[in-house]
Amino acid sequence: MNKNIIFIIVLIFFLGLGASWVINKANSSHQLPTIKLVPEFAFINQDGDPFTEKRLLDKITVLDFMFTNCPGPCPMMTHNMAGLYNDFAGVSEVQFISVTVDPDNDSQETLKNYASLNGVNDQRWNFLFSGIDSIKKLKRDGFMLFADDLPRGHAIKFVLIDAGGNIRQYYDGTDKASMKILRKDITLLVKKMRT
Amino acid sequence: MNLFRFFAYLSTGMTYLLIFIGGLVRVSGAGMGCPDWPKCFGRWIPPTNVGQLPDYIDPSKFNIVLAWIEYSNRLFGALVGVTITLTMVFMFKDYRNEIRIRNAVILAFLLTLVEGWLGAVLVKTVLNPVTITLHLLFALIIVMLLIYASQEAYHLENPHSEKKSDYPPYLGKVFAILAGVLLIEVILGTEIRGGLEMIRKENPVIESTFLLKMLGPFKYLHTILGILITFISGYLWFYLVKKPRFSSSLMIQTSSTILLLILVQIISGEILVFLKVIPLIQLFHLWIASWILGLVSIQYSLWKKSQVTNE
Repeated sequence: MNKNIIFIIVLIFFLGLGASWVINKANSSHQLPTIKLVPEFAFINQDGDPFTEKRLLDKITVLDFMFTNCPGPCPMMTHNMAGLYNDFAGVSEVQFISVTVDPDNDSQETLKNYASLNGVNDQRWNFLFSGIDSIKKLKRDGFMLFADDLPRGHAIKFVLIDAGGNIRQYYDGTDKASMKILRKDITLLVKKMRT
Repeated sequence: MNLFRFFAYLSTGMTYLLIFIGGLVRVSGAGMGCPDWPKCFGRWIPPTNVGQLPDYIDPSKFNIVLAWIEYSNRLFGALVGVTITLTMVFMFKDYRNEIRIRNAVILAFLLTLVEGWLGAVLVKTVLNPVTITLHLLFALIIVMLLIYASQEAYHLENPHSEKKSDYPPYLGKVFAILAGVLLIEVILGTEIRGGLEMIRKENPVIESTFLLKMLGPFKYLHTILGILITFISGYLWFYLVKKPRFSSSLMIQTSSTILLLILVQIISGEILVFLKVIPLIQLFHLWIASWILGLVSIQYSLWKKSQVTNE
């Protein structure tokens, strides 16, 4: 009997040791690559104010490309972005940017309406527009996303940008599981920023 | 020991290890380590780099450590499935006329299939909280059924093991209440875990001490039920160990271990809800709960045996 008890205690000890190794390994396994610096751009937001890459500094940014009339994946993307916008309401370091890929139809007025329709009531979520060529250029060269057949052929990615203006990761903006990972990653960057 | 009993014990032990691994998946946040099912990133052996991912899967989901944690739960689960199937095969060989053993093993086998399916649902629903709780609950029921079947087979081979015991006859209801309260307690525990997750989602960068303060009435309810469980187990111990003129040594060990483990649970539980959420303690808190359930099954079966023997 005593032998059994010793065996069980030793077994539990090693299970605990193994488990704590696995937990540590899991915690440290999550690394965000630094992909590239977001290049210069000068766009205008839904309030008519200029918005440049400088506004990315000292903020954690989630950015996507969309257009308000989009029938396909955009409603899902906007829904997911709004979820993040609400969940991170108390975290002033986090901001959201949606760039329209259909500036012909998405005027400042349209974007402003679209923003308030989606519950935007502060400066944390900016909807940007510009000439189609600068949008294409930023999307293709700045964010390395395809931009040939705009507005229809826009990417469904959410882009995470750190406080230094670096692209850190891309996420499928229509996918629930990807949103969970994005949430975690934003939190990670905010915590890093605060310490 | 015949092959059935050997495999029944083996399945029990392996299921316990599987519950531990499942808990480890949960506390290490690896539940979505493989975003597809049954394969992992479209492969039977998880990929080693992002380049091997199929193009329909978002590369941001790829984390090789989390993938292997989650996949080991699946692989080991499959192995346990095979062992339980073998247990059933040997049951049909030697015990097909023992209705209680037969039903318990068949039910355990069917629930094992359900567990596999629930695993797929979990991945598909991105860890739906109700499904997570069911996944755990069925695992606990499987382990209890396996223990019950092993114990019944043991009694068949040792018909006089509880012959001298004189446990009181009216404890059936107490066991029923205890089993019910224990299962509710486990569900409440998972609610606390889920509640923490909800609060964390809505308050992403919150410190864990604040997190605990925001946890609602569940933690108190969990504690109150814990006290109730302590009393019921103490009551059972008194009438099964202290009061009888004779108790089998298995009964004494089982009943005393239950009390000891409840003490461990109270200490670890209070650390978790009032001090700090420590994943390793969370894991053992859940795992020990599953031990208590198993031990109570043994305790019940011993008591029941004594009643039948003394009739």
